[in-house]
Amino acid sequence: MLQIPLNKDKDSCMDSDVLVRVKNLQTFFYQNGRCNKAVNGVSFDIKRGKTLCVVGESGCGKSVTASSIMQLLPELSRIEKGSEITYFSEKGEIRIDQQKRNGKVMRSLRGSEFAMVFQDPMTSLNPVYTIGYQLAENLQYHTPLNRKERKKRSVGLLRDMGIPLPEERVDEYPHQFSGGMRQRAMIAMAMACNPKVLIADEPTTALDVTIQAQVFDLIMKLKKDRNTAIMLITHDMGVVSELADDVVVMYMGNVVEAGTLEDVFRSPSHPYTVALLRSIPILGKGRDQDINPIRGVTPDPYDRPSGCQFAPRCDFFKEGVCDKCMPDATSLSKTHSVRCWKFVGGSGYGN
Amino acid sequence: MFAYTIRRFLTLIPMILIMTFLIFLGMDLTPGDAVSFMASPEAMANMSQAQLAQLRESLGLNDPFFMRYLTWLGGVLHGDFGYSLTSGVPIKDIVLSRIPATLELSVAALLISTFLGTILGLVSAVRKGRPVDHILTITGMIGVSIPEFFLGLVALLLFAINLNWFPIGGRLRPEYTVYWDHMKNLILPALVLGVTMTAGVMRYTRSSMLDTINKDYIKTARSKGLPEWRINLVHGFRVALTPVVVLIGFRLPILIGGSVVIEQIFQWPGVGNEFLGAVRSQNYPLVMMIALFSVFAVLIASFIIDLLTAALDPRVQLD
Amino acid sequence: MLNRQLILDKKMDRIRSMEESGTFKVHKGSRGMQKMLHNKLSIAGLVIFSVIMITSMFAPLFTSFDPLAIDLKAVLQSPSTTHWFGTDKLGRDVFSRVLYGGRISILVGFGSALGASFVGVLLGAWGGFRGGFIDKVFMRVSEIFMAFPQIILVLLLVSIVGQSMRNLIFIFMVTGWGSIYRMTRAKMLSIREEEYIQALRAFGIHPLIICYKHMLPNALGPIMVNITLSTAMFILQEAALSFLGLGVPLQIATWGNVLNAANDLTVLKSYWWIWLPVGVVISLFVLGINFIGDGLRDAADPSQQG
Repeated sequence: MLQIPLNKDKDSCMDSDVLVRVKNLQTFFYQNGRCNKAVNGVSFDIKRGKTLCVVGESGCGKSVTASSIMQLLPELSRIEKGSEITYFSEKGEIRIDQQKRNGKVMRSLRGSEFAMVFQDPMTSLNPVYTIGYQLAENLQYHTPLNRKERKKRSVGLLRDMGIPLPEERVDEYPHQFSGGMRQRAMIAMAMACNPKVLIADEPTTALDVTIQAQVFDLIMKLKKDRNTAIMLITHDMGVVSELADDVVVMYMGNVVEAGTLEDVFRSPSHPYTVALLRSIPILGKGRDQDINPIRGVTPDPYDRPSGCQFAPRCDFFKEGVCDKCMPDATSLSKTHSVRCWKFVGGSGYGN
Repeated sequence: MFAYTIRRFLTLIPMILIMTFLIFLGMDLTPGDAVSFMASPEAMANMSQAQLAQLRESLGLNDPFFMRYLTWLGGVLHGDFGYSLTSGVPIKDIVLSRIPATLELSVAALLISTFLGTILGLVSAVRKGRPVDHILTITGMIGVSIPEFFLGLVALLLFAINLNWFPIGGRLRPEYTVYWDHMKNLILPALVLGVTMTAGVMRYTRSSMLDTINKDYIKTARSKGLPEWRINLVHGFRVALTPVVVLIGFRLPILIGGSVVIEQIFQWPGVGNEFLGAVRSQNYPLVMMIALFSVFAVLIASFIIDLLTAALDPRVQLD
Repeated sequence: MLNRQLILDKKMDRIRSMEESGTFKVHKGSRGMQKMLHNKLSIAGLVIFSVIMITSMFAPLFTSFDPLAIDLKAVLQSPSTTHWFGTDKLGRDVFSRVLYGGRISILVGFGSALGASFVGVLLGAWGGFRGGFIDKVFMRVSEIFMAFPQIILVLLLVSIVGQSMRNLIFIFMVTGWGSIYRMTRAKMLSIREEEYIQALRAFGIHPLIICYKHMLPNALGPIMVNITLSTAMFILQEAALSFLGLGVPLQIATWGNVLNAANDLTVLKSYWWIWLPVGVVISLFVLGINFIGDGLRDAADPSQQG
């Protein structure tokens, strides 16, 4: 029987619904002799039966965060010391950041308790094996089912995901599926062993808008039926407003604002969040509405601004404060926090 | 799969026809009286000039080019390949007697280089950047740089003559009774013939594997909690293998051609050796026919490789 | 396995501290040259290549013997201070034969590679750019040529046209143009779809200029690599053919012709200096070329891993 190192810590989850607690995660990439601080101090919780949306532009580190949780990082990268990723399993606490990357513990968690759905289902599925084979693989390594039972289960999974004629589809290859069906198959594969946590990394970016809705409906149904915790990564604020319970806004490797959907959308506090929400064109307002892009460009990760990373693009920039160092998180309420100098100190900017 | 097989086979036919046409054209252009290789020497020895002229007529040698081509083609399809200019032996007999030896050599070299090459390439890729990888890469480069025949000479000198581990060339000896007895004659030439191919396959497998390891579906496989060996082998290697098989298909002509020189060095009684003799003695009919056969061999082998590729990668069948 | 993780960790720590303290030199100069020079193998290849090339080019500086001079008084002598590589059956100095032979072998190899590439690039560029009936015809033709095992086709042609150095280069060109033709054509096909080409067409620039002045330079990288590697291939082929006595006529000294002596089993066994050094020289030279070609290929390839 697998020996999972347990951590009967005094700091056990106060909220019995928290499945994954990420505290001060730092993931750095070391390529071409340079160090890229892709994720630089990120904290959030993933709760049972709730959807956490991680929003941000391309390159802000959201995918890296997801990969870090499952330790699916490339070779020349690592989770730095000081990071804590704790998984509250039925058997106790497991410190993911302390496990060997492809060791027994991680392998037993992946697929069975954690599952991931990727952005492009065409490239994320192996083209030379049938869908059924790839589904059954998951079952083979995490369940005691025999081959016939696995096949039956695979067909059932495809049916659950809304794929017509699953008995035939199960023996077909990925290139024979349409885009939306492929993503459903991926989700089927991810859900095969009923994981507690489903991480979806921009699952609909590569699909048509009409298919988007279907896929999200599917994910929400799963959440309802099986009480799965969902971590949804996206850059689309519209999706967030539809699906999220909790929201985390990321910029250049930091969480700049976090809270419930109400908190972040009703009272956005960080200038970046405000700018993001403002930049979305409003349906129905017509062609002549003002478009408000966020001014400036995302900085080069190897040539970062000093102090707050958003400072060069911020309308509320205050010299001497915002360019000195990155502010810590300030609690605006029990659920809502923000990292901005405007909220530090009595009247803001650290006073 | 079946439909694909038929389609591929049908594309072979025009190619074969073009080849036969070219070879016949070549034969026609070379100096010499066509009678001498189309009729058996014994029969010709007893003929007078008038009878020879009659023979020419009956063989259709005075017909227009295209007619002669078709007659010749008909003959070939019936197994009549003409006669050797120098020895008068029917070419068919010469070729048939020699093919088994060359087949043995080529197949052995192919098997060695495929297995050795892919496995070493896999090791090299999985252990990228480490000492093993460097050693294998440099060894591979040395392997493709040494002239095959030179390697053969060195191997012959070292292993057969000096160390006496293997017989010095030749294929069969009077004392061999069972088929497998002459395997020890096969080892050295097969290894030498396979060296260049092994190095190429190894290098290509490595780069193909490295490409595959970076693909998204590898990440997906890992996210399912599969063990590393399965990810590397079932998901990585298996997919990486397809382009390697295609490469082997491309390199087959080189393997078949290489046997020409290797057979000479090791006195291996195959078609290649015979070809050399024919070239040296300007035995054009034999030269042409053997060339034709080598092309056939390449085409058939490529066909088989294509089928193998389609079996390995289901996407190919969409072509 | 544990050791490797520690080594990686240390390396990453080092990079991190360098990054945080801001100590980084920015590389000037083209990335291509950078990569080439950093590649130790390419440098080694360049050195080997140059040494052999120079000694062959300037052969008279390095040896005083005439490669064709027969001296029956000094037959089959083992290496000595007068004859560095000894003498062969006809008393010829082997060292000078190797040096002078290099000239011819390199000439044949490089000349054929250039010639074949010239034809292949010319046809392939136009074929990839325009396509059409002629392109289809040439594709067929190249397929036919490539269906023959090269050495068999070469020998076939040799038996028909006869042996001479010029014939050999011609035959090599005829049998070798196919692969570079296809490669150029494929590269041109992909470049053709690039936007700047569409823009040039929209401007109404003459197709010949688009093809040869704008598109071709972008395909030069792989073409260079191909020429380098083709040279290596042709040198090996010439050696094999001459070894068999069917390449360059035996009167001219080439590396392969020198090796021809090894056909005799007694020479093989007892007079190693006649054939062994030549073989090593050929191998080293081709190895050098391969190293250089590899370096070129890495330099031309934009992708790179840390």
